[in-house]
Amino acid sequence: MGTQIIEIREALRQAMDEEMARDSRIFILGEEVAEYNGAYKVTKGMLAKWGPERVIDTPIAENGFAGLAIGAAQTGLRPIVEFMSWNFSFVAADQLISNACKAYYMSGGRFSVPVVFRGPNGAAAQVSCQHSHCVEAIYGNLPGFIVISPSNAYDAKGLLKSAIRAGNPVIFLENELDYGEKMEIPTEEYVVPIGQAKVVREGKHVTLISYCRMLKFCREAAEILSKKGISVEVIDLRTIKPLDIATVAASVRKTHRCVLVEEGHIFAGISAELGFQIQQHCFDDLDSPLIRVCQRETPMPYSKGLERETIPNTDRILAALTEVLK
Amino acid sequence: MQQEPYHFFPSDAEKVFSQIDKGLLKEALGQMYLIRNFEQRGEAAYQQGKVGGFYHSYVGQEAIQTACLAACGDKHWFTTTYRCHALALLLGSTPNAMMAELYGRATGVAKGLGGSMHMYADRLLGGLAIVGGHIPIATGAAFSIKYLKQKGLASFCFLGDGASVQGAFHESLNLAALWNLPCIYVIENNQWGMGTAATRAVCVKPIAEHFAKAYGIKSYTLDGLDFFNCYAGFKEALHECLTTSRPILIEAVAERFRGHSISDPGLYRSKEALQETIKRDPILRLKAVLIEKGILTEEECEEIDREKREIVIAAMKFADESPWPDPITLEEGVFAPPEEKK
Repeated sequence: MGTQIIEIREALRQAMDEEMARDSRIFILGEEVAEYNGAYKVTKGMLAKWGPERVIDTPIAENGFAGLAIGAAQTGLRPIVEFMSWNFSFVAADQLISNACKAYYMSGGRFSVPVVFRGPNGAAAQVSCQHSHCVEAIYGNLPGFIVISPSNAYDAKGLLKSAIRAGNPVIFLENELDYGEKMEIPTEEYVVPIGQAKVVREGKHVTLISYCRMLKFCREAAEILSKKGISVEVIDLRTIKPLDIATVAASVRKTHRCVLVEEGHIFAGISAELGFQIQQHCFDDLDSPLIRVCQRETPMPYSKGLERETIPNTDRILAALTEVLK
Repeated sequence: MQQEPYHFFPSDAEKVFSQIDKGLLKEALGQMYLIRNFEQRGEAAYQQGKVGGFYHSYVGQEAIQTACLAACGDKHWFTTTYRCHALALLLGSTPNAMMAELYGRATGVAKGLGGSMHMYADRLLGGLAIVGGHIPIATGAAFSIKYLKQKGLASFCFLGDGASVQGAFHESLNLAALWNLPCIYVIENNQWGMGTAATRAVCVKPIAEHFAKAYGIKSYTLDGLDFFNCYAGFKEALHECLTTSRPILIEAVAERFRGHSISDPGLYRSKEALQETIKRDPILRLKAVLIEKGILTEEECEEIDREKREIVIAAMKFADESPWPDPITLEEGVFAPPEEKK
C-alpha cells in the first residue's frame, strides 16, 4: 500500500476531491473558496478542476448561503459549506439551529439535510475574542447534529469522507494553526467511521482525553510523565457527537483516574458532558475526582501572554495530571 | 416612510376568465371552501382543547395560494411560513393527515412531530416558523433546480409583510439575483405583523415594487382578494421567471380576517375596519363571478361548501380516532438513515 506525507489542509482537500468525483451532487460553497483558493488554501486548485458550478464563491452573507445550502440539501444536492471561521457561523445561527438539525425530525422524516459545514474552529494566533470561540459545546447541545473534530491528517481525510456520506447535517471542526501539520497517510482510499474514539497512546495510571489541537499538548504531557515512570493513556475523541463513551469508560475502568482537556470554555463544555457520563458509567472505578483543563471564563484576550494563559497548554495539563495522581 | 400608490398588475377579468378552464375554476372555488372550512374547524378544535400550540389561520387570504397553484401547477418547490395549512392542502396533503397533525397524532403529515406551524407535502418544504428563516431554504430549492438543470420548475417562497424586513430575505434576494435562481418570492401583505401595522414596520409601500428595484429584479403587485388578478399575475410571473432565469418579487395585497394567531384578540383594529375587510371576502368574490357567468348556481356553491365541511368534519373524526405517537418512538427519526450506495 502506498503512502504520502501531507498536511491536514491537503488531506481535507483530497477528501472533498475524491467525494466530488464519486458523486456529482456534491458541491462546495463559501467565502473565498474558489478564485482565492480558500482563505486557508483548503480548497486550493478545486475551482480549476471542478469549475464554478461546483466550487462557488459566496457573498459575505452566512445566513443566506448556509440556509441556501440547507434548502439545496433538502431538494437533492449534497453541499459542503466552508465557514472561513466557525465564529462566522453565528451569523447563520438561525439556519443551523432552527433548520439544519431540526428539519428531518420536524417533518416526520420527509426532508433530510445531507450537508457538511466545515472550517476552522477555536483560537488561532492572537485573533481576539470574536474570532476565537470554540463552537462544539453550542452545536453539540442540539439534537440532530453530528459533531466531528479531527486532530491529524489521517482522521481529517477519513472522517470528512464519512461526513459527506453521512446523509445528515455535520458540524466539522478543523483548526487553523494545525492546517500545516504533516502526517504519512495511505494513498489508497479509506474512510474513518463516525463515532469512534481512539486510544492514541496506551497507559495504565491515568486517562487523558481530548480532541483536535489539544491532543498535541496531551501527547507532550504524556511523554514528559513517561520519563518519570508514569504511564498516561491518551484518547482522541475524534467524533464529539455521537460520543464514544464505551472507549472512554473502558480506559477509565483500567486507570481509575482521568483528566479532560478542552480548548473551549469550562462552563457547560464538552468535558462537562463527558465528565458527567464518566461518573455515570465509572462511579465505582474512580479513585479521584475528575479534573478539567479548559479555557478560562473570559472572552479570548488579544495579548499574547494572556492568550497563552487561557488556552490549555502542556504545563496546565501536567499540573492536572499530577493533581489527579496524588 | 416612503409611500406611493400600488401599481397593480393589469389584468382584464373578462379575458382571464375566458382563458381558464371552467372545471379548474369550480375546483379552485372548492379548494378555497376547503381551506376556509378547515381553518374554521381547526380553530374550533383548538377551542375544544384538541389542538395545542399556536394556530395561524389563512382565512381571508385563500385566493392567493389557490390562484398560484391553479396558474402554475404543483410540480415546483414550495416553502411557506407558519401560516401553512392552505398550501399543504393545495399541494395534496389530505385533510385527514392535516387534521391529525393538528391533533398531534401518529397519522399526521409529520407524524405529530411538527404541529400547526410545520405542515408538509411532497413538494412543500414547510411550514417553517421563524419569521424569514424559511426564505434561504426556498432559495436553496431554486439553486437545486438550476444545478440539476430541471427545466420548467421554479421555487415558490411565500412570506409575510413582516418577514420582508428580515436580513434573511434580503440576503436571499441578493443571492437569487446574483446567481439567476428561479425563485419566486411572494409577499402576502396581510397588513399586520402580529399586532404591528405593516406601515409601522416596513419603510416603503408598495413593498415589492420598491425592494425589487434595489435587487434589479422584476416585481408584480397583485390584488390578493381577486382570484383572477392573482391567477393572471402568477401565470405571467412564472413565465417571466422561467424565460429570463431571474428571480421575481410579488406582493399580494390582502388582509387577514382573524388575529395573528388564535390567541390574538385583534384589539389593534376596529370592528368597523374588520367588517369592511370581511365584506371583500375573496371567496364571495369568486363565487359571485361564477354565478354571474352561469358556471355554478347559488345552490351548487352551497353544496360545494357543505361537501367540504363534511370532509373536514370527517377529518376531525379521523384525527380524534387516530393513535397517539407511541412514546417508544420518541427518539426515533432524529437522523436520516445512511443513504444507499449509489
